[in-house]
Amino acid sequence: MDDFAEQIVTSALGFGAKDAVGRVVVDRNYQIRVSQNQPAIANEWRKTSGQAFLNYDGRIVSGEVSDLAQISETVGRLVKIAKGSQPNPEFVGLAKGPFRYRRLSSDPKVVKLMDGSDYVEAAIHGAIEEGAKETAGSFWRYHEEHYLYTSNGASGNDVNVGLYLSIRAHAGPESSGHGVACATRKAAFEPERAGHKAGRIAALAKDPKPGTPGAYDVVFDPLIFGSLIDQLGGRSSAYSVAAGFSPLGGKLGKKVASSAVTLYDDATADTLGRLRFDEEGVPVRRKAIVQDGVLKTYLHNTSTAKKYKTKTTANAGLVAPSAHALVLEGGDWTRDELFQDVRDGLWLTNTWYTRYQSYVTGDFSTIPRDGIFRIKDGEIAGVWKDIRITDNLLGVWKRVKGLSKKAEQVQWWGEVGVPTVAPYALVTKVNVTRSAM
Amino acid sequence: MDTDLVDFAVEHARSRGARYAEARFEEQANEQFIVKGGIVDALDFTESRGIGVRVLAGGSLGFTATNLLTKSDVREIVDRAVALAKGARRKKPITFAPEPAVVADWSVPEARPLADTPVEERVDEIVSIDRDLVGLKYKIPGRFFMCYSNRISKYFANSEGSKIRSYSPRVRLYYHLTLVKGGDVEQCNENYGWSGGWEALEEVRARDRVLEAARTAINALEHGKKSPEGKTDLVAGPQVSGIASHESCGHPTEADRILGREASQAGKSFITPDGGGMKIGSGVVNVVDDPTMEHAIAFYRYDDEGVKARRRYLYKRGRVSEFLQNRETAAVLGTRSNGAARATNYDREAIVRMANTFVEPKDRTPEEMIEEVKRGVYMKSFMEWNIDDKRWNGKYVGREAYLIENGEVKGPVRRTVVELTTKAFWSAVDAVGKDLELFHAGWCGKSDPGQALDAALGGPTIRLRNVYLR
Repeated sequence: MDDFAEQIVTSALGFGAKDAVGRVVVDRNYQIRVSQNQPAIANEWRKTSGQAFLNYDGRIVSGEVSDLAQISETVGRLVKIAKGSQPNPEFVGLAKGPFRYRRLSSDPKVVKLMDGSDYVEAAIHGAIEEGAKETAGSFWRYHEEHYLYTSNGASGNDVNVGLYLSIRAHAGPESSGHGVACATRKAAFEPERAGHKAGRIAALAKDPKPGTPGAYDVVFDPLIFGSLIDQLGGRSSAYSVAAGFSPLGGKLGKKVASSAVTLYDDATADTLGRLRFDEEGVPVRRKAIVQDGVLKTYLHNTSTAKKYKTKTTANAGLVAPSAHALVLEGGDWTRDELFQDVRDGLWLTNTWYTRYQSYVTGDFSTIPRDGIFRIKDGEIAGVWKDIRITDNLLGVWKRVKGLSKKAEQVQWWGEVGVPTVAPYALVTKVNVTRSAM
Repeated sequence: MDTDLVDFAVEHARSRGARYAEARFEEQANEQFIVKGGIVDALDFTESRGIGVRVLAGGSLGFTATNLLTKSDVREIVDRAVALAKGARRKKPITFAPEPAVVADWSVPEARPLADTPVEERVDEIVSIDRDLVGLKYKIPGRFFMCYSNRISKYFANSEGSKIRSYSPRVRLYYHLTLVKGGDVEQCNENYGWSGGWEALEEVRARDRVLEAARTAINALEHGKKSPEGKTDLVAGPQVSGIASHESCGHPTEADRILGREASQAGKSFITPDGGGMKIGSGVVNVVDDPTMEHAIAFYRYDDEGVKARRRYLYKRGRVSEFLQNRETAAVLGTRSNGAARATNYDREAIVRMANTFVEPKDRTPEEMIEEVKRGVYMKSFMEWNIDDKRWNGKYVGREAYLIENGEVKGPVRRTVVELTTKAFWSAVDAVGKDLELFHAGWCGKSDPGQALDAALGGPTIRLRNVYLR
């Protein structure tokens, strides 16, 4: 397959492109979807496709090479399209290779897995043992091979394999909990633990009452805090900043979070986001986006780095850099200590539908779902429903009071798009609103 | 289009013991470019093609997809789909509601066919809109446009004899502006969609609308006051009635949600399987979902299970009337599919989806509705919005909004917050306009893996009486 990646580049250069990147992706992902405690459908994909990116006379074009037997025709068409576009003076070229990459590491037991039914059943049983009546979710076996070749000397291949399970449990119509399991190795995969967590939260969340608006100290479970990490890390892309989709513009070197917060982008960590190189072929590395609350860097490719007079952070996206895997450094609290610190507040376990009134000011709201618990003097004192967090993104991060030592890997549909390692977090004075009836 | 491979897939699945089989070939020619700060960032041209196969075997569903279009690869994915279905440890067998076999060929007319509209022209048009924005002499540090077109060709066949070809061209324009005045900032964005050709931008008056949005945002920065807090009237423009229809009428009436198939991701619904007839709004509220509106972004004649499309009354005279169904949900609920099954591409299963969801227009003009308001807010557009996963607690925060006093539109108000339950919102509606705008569009998210799908999010102006705003 690396030959095809090279052919894409050779073809592009042959048509007169100045820079080119060829990529080939082999997708062998497999999934079981679950609802009402049983499989709803099993899906499997068998796709091999190429992707071309080229700079023709300053004009940038990308596209899929769906049929690898027709590389020349497809690339020729892309060059023709490029001629009709306009130059992008912000594109300054690709990172200069060759590069050396760390050793490939993938679990062959994951690659060989053909049936995930046992994992699905383990998760369902775990939830039901805790008191759940109904479960739904997804099991994934990820298996993708990536091949890359660039006109500036980078070439390599990568294999991304992993196991993932997401389960939501209902103990009643409005009593639910959610759990996820993520692992790159079969031996580390714990679907039953995710099921138990979902079921336990659902069982605890029985008979919720409408919540009361106000400002509350909140303990965030890793899954919901993963959403806020995703928002902060995702909006650190230099592209998001330049396009007006981030509150981090003009804040390099400034406080954007409390001193307890150190956030890394780290594709070298053992998460589902583990990579060897970015889309320019630059070896990935761990870097602090926020250190002790101070914004240290935006995420860059070669072109955005030039604009900001710095070096690439190995986060290409050939057009827009993006986070690979976010790791929030744990703090020095235990989970229990975080709860004990709450005199009158909430424990939130999941959220969805995070939306902004203004990305540049960071004013947003998000809707907690699954277990919403009232906490008084460190103990659960009630169950709520129907609330919304209406706050400011950087405001929330500046009010982080404590983080747990232990962290969990989370990823979830829509909200935690980037594999994320998240601890429990205590945030003070979180603004809560509720719909009028 | 390789129809032989599709027919082969269906036949082979039947020979391997599938009780039902369908195969869908799709070829999508997708052109997209971004103009950011006047610069064409990149143009992406993706031609994808492949076959997806779904089988019902042993009482379970298996779905596989490939872009490797050889007979041996298709045979392999069919074998695997049957094996996946038969290997599923399902207790309750899945069945499909009956449907007649259909042989059809449909397409959408293009006044200016996308295939004949050069890239230069499309890029030039968006760049010139950006240039006109700059010409307004406002401080607009963030100017972001994404223009997208897709030409979707499909061939669907199933083991019951259906064979349907279609061609569906679509155009989308999204813009996002950041405007600054005196240290204050306002952001606005909109998303237009059209089934058809490059006439789209003219039909939706994209240029005028973008420039008007910038003017109104600056007006809000210069003259905007705090929106009134308390119980008051609300006149909600087409964008606002559209998003509310989509979020709190369309999603909760999706039968797969109601049955729990989306519970882990997009969520469930406040409506239960026996919730037909539930009172949810005033008697003037009819909300429909209609795929047959020809140039609306989610136009289609037959869905991705080969079922004929038709208008569905989701809420009728304020009561839950009809769920959106595919063949699987219809069988569970003892009814028939109403043609709501769609997939984003060949590599996704077709699931229950909204198409073009809107309040059915009546006979009032916005001016007439405003004249009858003593004190209220006229909210024409929004930025922040969300709703819980049972579709009960919604929130829409105004972008362009004005105070109404004694029947007249006064100065701009900023960030009007409409945070109401679904019942509170629809029960307060006392008048519906005739000014249907269906070209407001969105990407509707659902399923796992995610399927972000075209949906029309427009409607007519509606009036709500005595609702709590802040």
